[in-house]
Amino acid sequence: MRLAWLVLFPLLAFAQHDPAVVAQGRELYNRSCTQCHGADGTVGDRGPALAARRRYIRSSEEDLFNAIKNGIPGTGMPGSALPPDDVRKIVTYIRSLRATAIDAPIEGNTAKGEAIFNGKGRCRDCHMVNGQGGIIGPDLSNIAAERSIKAIHEGLTVPRPHIPTGFQPVRVVLQSGAELRGILKNEHNFSLQMLDMNGKLHLLSRDEVKEVEYDTQSLMPTNWAQRLTPEELKDLVAFLSRQARPVDGPRQPNARRRR
Amino acid sequence: MNRRSALKLLSSLPAAAAAQAEVTYDDLRKADPKDWLTYQGNYNAQRHSLLKQVHTGNVADLTAAWIYHVPNANRLQCVPIVVDGVMYISQPNEVYALDGTTGRLIWSYNHEPALQRGPNRGVAVYGNKVYVGTPDAYLVALDARTGSLLWKAKLADAKDGYWAPVAPLAIKDKIIMGIAPGDHGLNGWLDAYSAETGERLWRWHSIPRPGEPGNETWAGDSWKTAGGDTWLTGSYDPELNVVYWGIGNPAPDFDGDVRKGDNLYTECMVALDADTGKLKWYFQYTPHDVHDWDAVEVPVLVDADFKGRKRKLLVQANRNGFYYVLDRVTGEFLHGSPFLKRLNWATGLTKEGRPIRVKEVIPTTQGTRTCPATAGATNWHSPTYSPDTNLFYVAMMEGCGINYKSRDTFRPGGMPYMATGYVEDPEAPWQTYVRALDLTTGAIQWEYKQVGSKRYGAGLISTAGGLVFAGDDQGFFTALDARTGKPLWHFNTGQQITASPVSYSVKGKQYLSVAAGSNIVAFALHGRAAK
Ligand code: HEC
Ligand code: HEC
Repeated sequence: MRLAWLVLFPLLAFAQHDPAVVAQGRELYNRSCTQCHGADGTVGDRGPALAARRRYIRSSEEDLFNAIKNGIPGTGMPGSALPPDDVRKIVTYIRSLRATAIDAPIEGNTAKGEAIFNGKGRCRDCHMVNGQGGIIGPDLSNIAAERSIKAIHEGLTVPRPHIPTGFQPVRVVLQSGAELRGILKNEHNFSLQMLDMNGKLHLLSRDEVKEVEYDTQSLMPTNWAQRLTPEELKDLVAFLSRQARPVDGPRQPNARRRR
Repeated sequence: MNRRSALKLLSSLPAAAAAQAEVTYDDLRKADPKDWLTYQGNYNAQRHSLLKQVHTGNVADLTAAWIYHVPNANRLQCVPIVVDGVMYISQPNEVYALDGTTGRLIWSYNHEPALQRGPNRGVAVYGNKVYVGTPDAYLVALDARTGSLLWKAKLADAKDGYWAPVAPLAIKDKIIMGIAPGDHGLNGWLDAYSAETGERLWRWHSIPRPGEPGNETWAGDSWKTAGGDTWLTGSYDPELNVVYWGIGNPAPDFDGDVRKGDNLYTECMVALDADTGKLKWYFQYTPHDVHDWDAVEVPVLVDADFKGRKRKLLVQANRNGFYYVLDRVTGEFLHGSPFLKRLNWATGLTKEGRPIRVKEVIPTTQGTRTCPATAGATNWHSPTYSPDTNLFYVAMMEGCGINYKSRDTFRPGGMPYMATGYVEDPEAPWQTYVRALDLTTGAIQWEYKQVGSKRYGAGLISTAGGLVFAGDDQGFFTALDARTGKPLWHFNTGQQITASPVSYSVKGKQYLSVAAGSNIVAFALHGRAAK
């Protein structure tokens, strides 16, 4: 699968940014920033994730540069002693991490991709795009502005390590004996909120619930590398990598998602 | 709790347009008290809940059930909508679906681009959809089950300065939608959109164009930059099939010299045919206003005896300080009297309902003491009418302002076109009250003074439990005895309340809920007290 990725989409994730600069930025970053922001800007208990999906406070080159060079006064973010050139490289690296599919959509036959989405893949049974489709999976109308091409491709081909919040498949048995099947929108010790397979929302107090069975597998099939030809998969990703809502003015990278 | 795979859910995928309890026009008409389906809870805008689990005898045991904090919110003005226990709330650019019994999030929607213009007063529901207006002047339809964006209808060009704070109103298969802001010299209208597709079905212009009746009430070209917006949700009479909507102020607000005439249809109540948007009648509360007293306040529809005759009434406590009773079939003026003790701009109303003006009380360059202040005797926050007491309750403010005027020129792009403004009169400081008025005479039956509160914004609800719930600027949510105004219970929400409360019931439990500052708070009786 890795191979397929490399063959089909060489270096696409960083398409906008000079790969050499990105690589240098990465090295600099790994030397001085990971202890707080995690490897590849993903986590860290001492600083915010710099490239995980959420709304960023700073996204322009200017703002990022200033934050890194001068630190953020009154917070745990120290200024950096690195020369400005190196700081610029780190900025390029962070921005490349944040790049989403729409920044450089891949080539492919998008019409064929759409046909697979609606037909052979039966994606629309579960996913809405531009107001049409199912409701069990996330709305994909803006997926290209939220995810990188790499992430979209992996979404279709690599099983998730864990099921994202809002999409946990469950079977719920009520005290009355009635049984509900669907996905959990939210849960807590005292209540759970689920969308059943008929599209009805259930608001349940734990008192009413006898048993909850959590599926270990997401409803999202991830065997598309087997079920589609490489060409079809490429066309499908090409279609998805263009699904971004038009916005006036600059797009906010990885705009916060609803669920 | 065990975990396993392959629950075999796949065999039973929901059809795209599946079977969630859809809100029908019939539901909206019936307004089952377990739900709160429209901005005012009922087309007649009485805001009277028939729920009575919470009543004068046990309200002392009312307690907070949950709080939902709306991220980055501030002075929320939304009125929650509740369908089968699912609560839909909003702030500018955002809609949230919550579990109405626990305050737990089900989904949220973020509108982009997120222009920062507030407030947002709430959503409408119809079928499987949730509708909301946006700061960039769109009407947006979402899937009620997931928050998925279904379509956007452009109301106006945001670049011109228009935006949409008003909660839409679903009528039959249409979504009725107003627009703001008139203070910027932008002319208003009322629109109807197809609930299904977002296609515009009619538009009624609140400022008549040349050749249309009423255009002669604007001197020269003044009708072109005239205001008259529609920023608060109106009411509807299904039998007459008439929409009632209050119209905003003329522009420039404080300088009437450049727009001589009555300035129709600013500060009118208008009655429009719901199918066509055709004007049936209008009544102008403040002709040629120079104090920014929008007449958008909620039109409350009541069928009641008026001087021995059963009539279909429309009553309104107007921002200008008078309480008005109209015949809603014909628009005939039946009664008007001040609900404000300190009112200095008019000595009364003629028998046609026109104000008898005090000539000197107009804005000047030196400033003129004006009562009520421009902020108004009341405003967007909702009044309520209880058929049990036959009283009309209004959250209102006593207090005067000093009003100034200058010469202004209209600048396109949404710049204020107000010709200056007003300040609080230091000699007549503001004070808020809840007052109970006799429905047909407007006589004040009781008042509850909100000690220490001077900014209004918290609306009212009355209930079949004999209660009126009110809020104030210090964050207190208070239950009053509907007959006497005596406070029976209160809760300090900790933040200024600038929205109107609702009531609903889920699994046999009655809730009251209100937006307080940046939170939505819900109340219910303790398990035992509820029995
Ligand atoms: C000692 C821990 C620490 C180190 C080391 C550190 N940071 Fe930070 N960083 C933080 C904290 C904490 C914040 C959040 C500051 C705040 O509250 O706004 C932050 C914020 C930032 C932000 C702003 C994020 C946003 O969305 O606004 C950027 C960019 C950033 N760090 C980059 C870096 C880079 C690049 C390095 C390495 C050169 C680095 N940081 C090293 C702790 C650290
Ligand atoms: C049986 C229902 C179902 C089908 C069919 C299905 N999906 Fe999904 N999909 C889901 C669910 C549920 C999720 C969310 C849970 C997860 O990510 O595992 C999801 C997640 C995704 C994501 C990740 C979204 C994100 O936010 O990162 C993508 C991309 C995606 N699906 C694309 C597709 C495509 C393309 C197809 C057709 C080839 C498809 N899905 C078919 C149910 C489905």
